[in-house]
Amino acid sequence: MPDATDNAVLTELGRRLVGGSLSDAALQRATEATGDFAILPWVNVVKIGGQSIMDRGRSAVMPVVDEIVANLPRHKMILATGAGTRARHVYSLAIDLGLPIGVLTVLGTAVAWQNAQLLQYLLARHGIAFIEPEGFASLPHYLMERGAVICQGMPPYKLWEENPELGRIPPQRTDTGCFLIAEVFGARKMIYVKDEEGLYTADPKKDPAATHVARISVRDLLARDLHDLVVERAVLELMLNARHIREIQFVNGLKPGQLSAALDGEPVGTIIYNDAAPTRAAA
Amino acid sequence: MNDVSRGAQHVVSRLMRESLMDKALIAGTEAPVRAILPGLNVIQIGGMSIMDRGRAAVLPLLEEIVQNQEWHTQVIGVGPGVRARHILSVGLDLGLPTGALATLAAKSAAQNAYMVSCLLASHGFVYLEAPFIVQLLPAMLAAARGAVFNGIPPYDLWEHPPALGKIPPHGSDAGSYLVAEVFGARSLILVKDVDGLYTADPKTSPQAEFIPEIRAADLLSLGLATLPLEPAVLHLLLRAKLAKSLRIVNGLTPGTLTRALAGEPVGTLIRVD
Repeated sequence: MPDATDNAVLTELGRRLVGGSLSDAALQRATEATGDFAILPWVNVVKIGGQSIMDRGRSAVMPVVDEIVANLPRHKMILATGAGTRARHVYSLAIDLGLPIGVLTVLGTAVAWQNAQLLQYLLARHGIAFIEPEGFASLPHYLMERGAVICQGMPPYKLWEENPELGRIPPQRTDTGCFLIAEVFGARKMIYVKDEEGLYTADPKKDPAATHVARISVRDLLARDLHDLVVERAVLELMLNARHIREIQFVNGLKPGQLSAALDGEPVGTIIYNDAAPTRAAA
Repeated sequence: MNDVSRGAQHVVSRLMRESLMDKALIAGTEAPVRAILPGLNVIQIGGMSIMDRGRAAVLPLLEEIVQNQEWHTQVIGVGPGVRARHILSVGLDLGLPTGALATLAAKSAAQNAYMVSCLLASHGFVYLEAPFIVQLLPAMLAAARGAVFNGIPPYDLWEHPPALGKIPPHGSDAGSYLVAEVFGARSLILVKDVDGLYTADPKTSPQAEFIPEIRAADLLSLGLATLPLEPAVLHLLLRAKLAKSLRIVNGLTPGTLTRALAGEPVGTLIRVD
């Protein structure tokens, strides 16, 4: 075979990439300085919680649907769903049966998919389509034509999900999947619609002394090493490495107007932000 | 089942109503894992190290795989090689994010996997895309006599931005490892163009020493500048439930893969403990 690395049309970085080891830290550092093109800078990723919204049925879901419809003329949205109580059931069953993490991810994805279908039936009359991960290349078209699309929130890792540090629950679920959608498209906002105002010092459903946190840096939040969190830990860890998404917002979907306020840029609920320069800048 | 006090309709389970982010709850789910396909051997063929060399390297290796078919169930992951490096270069130059780069690079590995499956087709190997690995691998192994898959995991747009730079951290070594882990495979063999692990790059440092066996944690603490496998795999190994070791062998040396499949100590064994 001829040497494929001798190519005068490559950039200097390109020559290093073609010839070197991708695990070489010096080469990885050289890719730091490349630009960041935002693919869909006007899109908002909105995650509709599974247990917090969808499992409540009509009383919680319909007002959220109405609010989404009201925002269609002003904001373009990727609407993604969480899993919820059926995922918890199937996770317990699968753990009991000794099945591995990748299988649990496949099972959990089916639940988020069901919730996405439910949401899509309710929004179908507004021309909103459901797309699978494989169909994401068509997403810009749907967003331009109809202002929103629906997808399920799980990342498409399937059997390739990584083991968590502890326990048997897939560590990268729908919060993580939605965050990564926002990051890869360079989205305008990442908004999580749950059934609380956002972050508390403890679970407000269990501890009446819990106090609300309006704004907190991701580093502070990680440093607190809380026993429970409003969001998957993987999201906080990925925020530290993200190049586009500098903040994520949590709103209460049971309070009419909170989602709209967040879409309009108001500081409702809780904002977790990353203000520190990425560690890479020092490299 | 309808929890009136909270308004949510729950299915009764041990995890019902609980926060899945709660550390105590997560710890309480620790339990043994069953191996789904304990007889499986996952063999990862390197992209740049083997595929890009063409027939001189690829055909003898595939011949060896065929010779082992009677004794070992083999599923073959394949890496992307130099075309992925090229599209990474173009994509980085355009400012594309890591998830877009991962999607692009995965196609180069798919090409290599498809070529390997064509070369093994007459021996009953099938090429399976990720959704078919999920649904059909056990049936295919029962009916067919082996399978070939894209080594790069199907993370696509959902690939993690790495701590340093923009290169997708999960390549074909990580993807093949995860296949071995989820099925509880008998072995994972990474076929490269070096004998295994050295204290330095043997291609540039003549004083590099060979390491026949090492724990993943010790290897990480050595902090070697370059490794013959993706560092992500070492981190995955530390959390292994089932796939607690892997072997790196030289696919350019005839007989090495056969010896590795037979459980002989060739190449470098990297293990959890």
